[in-house]
Amino acid sequence: MITRKLLPLLLAPLWLTAEEWPHFRGPQYDGISREKNWQTDWPETGPKRLWEAQVGIGFSSMAVAKGRLYTLGHNEGADTLYCLDAKTGRKQWSYSWLSNIGAKFYIGGPGSTPTVADGRVYVAGKWGEVSCLVPHPKNAGEVQVLWARHLAKEDQVRVPTWGFNGSPLVLGDRLLINAGSAGVALDLKTGKTLWKSPDGEAGYATPQPVMLGGQPHVIVSSGRAYSAVKVADGQEAWSLRWFTRYGVNAADAIVDGDQVFVGSGYRKGCGLYKIGAELTEVWKNKNLSTQMNAAVKIGDHLYGFDGDSGGPGKLRCVSWKTGEVVWEHATGFGALTAADDRLIVLTGTGALMTAPATPKGFKPSGRTRVLDKDCWTAPVLANGLLYCRNSKGHLVCLDLRRGQ
Amino acid sequence: MQASRRRFLKTSAAATAASFAATPLLAAPGKKYRTAIIGAGWWGMNILRDAMAHGQCKVVGICDVSEQTREVSAEEITDLNGDQPRKYNDFREMLGKEKPEIVIIATPDHWHALPAIAAIEAGSHVFLEKPTAHTVEESRAILNAARAAKRVVQVGLHRRIGPHHVEAMKFLKSGKVGKVGQVRLFVTGGGGKEEPTPNSPAPVGLDWDLWCGPAPKRPFNRRLHPGGWRHFLDYANGTLGDWGVHWLDQITWWSDEKFPKRVFSSGGRPVRGTAVNDGEAMTSDTPDSQVAIYDYEDFTVTWEHRRFAMNATEHHRYGAYFYGTEGILHIGWRDGWTFYPAKKNGMKAHGDPRFDNERDGHNLPPLWADFMKAIADPKHTPAADIEPAHRSSVLPMLGMISYRLGRSLQWDGDKEQILNDQEANQLLRRDYRNPWVYPKV
Repeated sequence: MITRKLLPLLLAPLWLTAEEWPHFRGPQYDGISREKNWQTDWPETGPKRLWEAQVGIGFSSMAVAKGRLYTLGHNEGADTLYCLDAKTGRKQWSYSWLSNIGAKFYIGGPGSTPTVADGRVYVAGKWGEVSCLVPHPKNAGEVQVLWARHLAKEDQVRVPTWGFNGSPLVLGDRLLINAGSAGVALDLKTGKTLWKSPDGEAGYATPQPVMLGGQPHVIVSSGRAYSAVKVADGQEAWSLRWFTRYGVNAADAIVDGDQVFVGSGYRKGCGLYKIGAELTEVWKNKNLSTQMNAAVKIGDHLYGFDGDSGGPGKLRCVSWKTGEVVWEHATGFGALTAADDRLIVLTGTGALMTAPATPKGFKPSGRTRVLDKDCWTAPVLANGLLYCRNSKGHLVCLDLRRGQ
Repeated sequence: MQASRRRFLKTSAAATAASFAATPLLAAPGKKYRTAIIGAGWWGMNILRDAMAHGQCKVVGICDVSEQTREVSAEEITDLNGDQPRKYNDFREMLGKEKPEIVIIATPDHWHALPAIAAIEAGSHVFLEKPTAHTVEESRAILNAARAAKRVVQVGLHRRIGPHHVEAMKFLKSGKVGKVGQVRLFVTGGGGKEEPTPNSPAPVGLDWDLWCGPAPKRPFNRRLHPGGWRHFLDYANGTLGDWGVHWLDQITWWSDEKFPKRVFSSGGRPVRGTAVNDGEAMTSDTPDSQVAIYDYEDFTVTWEHRRFAMNATEHHRYGAYFYGTEGILHIGWRDGWTFYPAKKNGMKAHGDPRFDNERDGHNLPPLWADFMKAIADPKHTPAADIEPAHRSSVLPMLGMISYRLGRSLQWDGDKEQILNDQEANQLLRRDYRNPWVYPKV
């Protein structure tokens, strides 16, 4: 019923190489890079720091495409999209708009990651400002806004407590945003609204693409559910009731074959469901309460952070089939990514570690301190370079290329 | 679910065994009290989880004006012990239908008095979150109702039972600190300017009108809910009413003097900036910097609160200094208690904190066990009984009246009147928004 293998054909523009990371959670939307041959044994002093930059307050992750890095940050009443040279950190251009920082029990700032497709950059702002940008064809350092749309003002979409934090998803001829009860679709070329879901508070996850019955769908979180809706018209295929405290359903759904995994923080827990005409529960427990960042699935196991920011979070390996905890490591809260069957882990206080992704245990071959707290944003590996940032906007590029 | 359920049963069995050992219960073993909660958010659920772990609750009702909160909390209760509480938006309906024997109240301050009095009058024992109320006469009305109906009301002042506070208070009362002439209470933190947050439609499933209830109805703003209401004077009394009541209660607990004779407070928002509420957007409006002086017959108490600059020049960020002729006793939070002797060769003394909940740094479980003991045994006075808790809760309220009026207040604690100040006396109560009626004293 679901043909996951068809997705890359549908989703990935042909010019992308496997080393790019053009949007949140990477080319396959699973938090895993296909990159191999990067440095996994780090010296005592850690990998070489290639460059550092200040990109403003926020939790936006990094998108890397065609030698450029894109991320968002907040400075003094404005949010800014930064475009930096991925190898040198040199600023190429930036684009700012007035924005409230939205601090509430946290520092605030934008939480979505820009999405790059066909040379265009799509940005979903915290309060509903969606825009499509391209660098000016002639004037270096200038940027053109191809279109802009304000979901709250123009489409009367309700803004959730912490603003919109899901990243925009490019799928065929449309842009999917986690807004309303189960997403909004905009025309990729014009920004015109093609459909919007019924009124409701959006969750904070990024729409996750999935094929259902041969049709492209996205799984979108709200404050009370994870729902699969058809990309063509927003029609709901199924909806999993998933109430979480404060409506914080922030971790992306993880799909494998005909099964979907969801997890949320605040003691909510997680569950695995078989996808059919309706969802049926395979198992449900409290073993992987992923508050913000989704886990990664490698082989038959999930690797991710259980627990909330500010609490005694744990890095856990959980069996996909049974939901049992295979091992855990008292790292505190954090975020991770994976490449070549290895985990790249950034703890909330800024410790970076890499270790093989195996149910046998967590044995880092490299560890170093890269940043001050709070690091709630998953690191990104692209073309042998690893990018890590913290909430204050300190961005670091580490050189993991072999033979450097 | 299986694994976590087993773990829970194991720990709750251990907790029950421990509390039986510590406090023999007079009620029949295995007696389960029909328990309901009003305000089932973060802190309410902290209380309820510990109540459930104690082993004598059957959770029958859950009341919250947010559908989100109701659903999430009900599911968590079912996951924890299988209880399936019915869900209510309105506490009056819940009290009528469920007839709970115990009610936990963990709503914002402006929503303490009416549910507490209604629960007491319906025959329930009440675990009421601190401070007791928002205005002085509400608090008095709760106390009167509790005494008239002979119901136990335990207030969430867990610093009266936390082991390091008990230890420090024993040390203080032993005379080792000498004659105490002054007490300084303080809470310091970090922070900066506050930008106004735009008002927005109330979230789906939140009964905003009922959330505001008897207090003024503001437009919805995400700074108010969830969680931010403490810093809006319409609904609470700021940091003095939150942290302040815990530390002021240490004075009530320690001293034989029942109340101060004079209260003065000053402060403002030099860091957060001018309060905004212009119909489009709002900021909080409580002070970010405040001092209050409480004059007792035999000693003077000062409170200071800074919402910036931390406290790097001292060892401690929070707590109480008791300045005695023999030295200084600090009672703190995560830093336990420490005695600094006045004499050079004096013995320093210290006790580490022992929290039942490390993350939130509190001792609710023994406070709950003590509440249950008081319900079972009418001769046992609860550790944080409504009477002293009322007197402690009144102190921040008086501080805020002085702060608003900009002058000191002469307090007659026996009559609960401010002397020679009609305007100040009017602020001991306030008009409720229709159709709610201010409780009668």
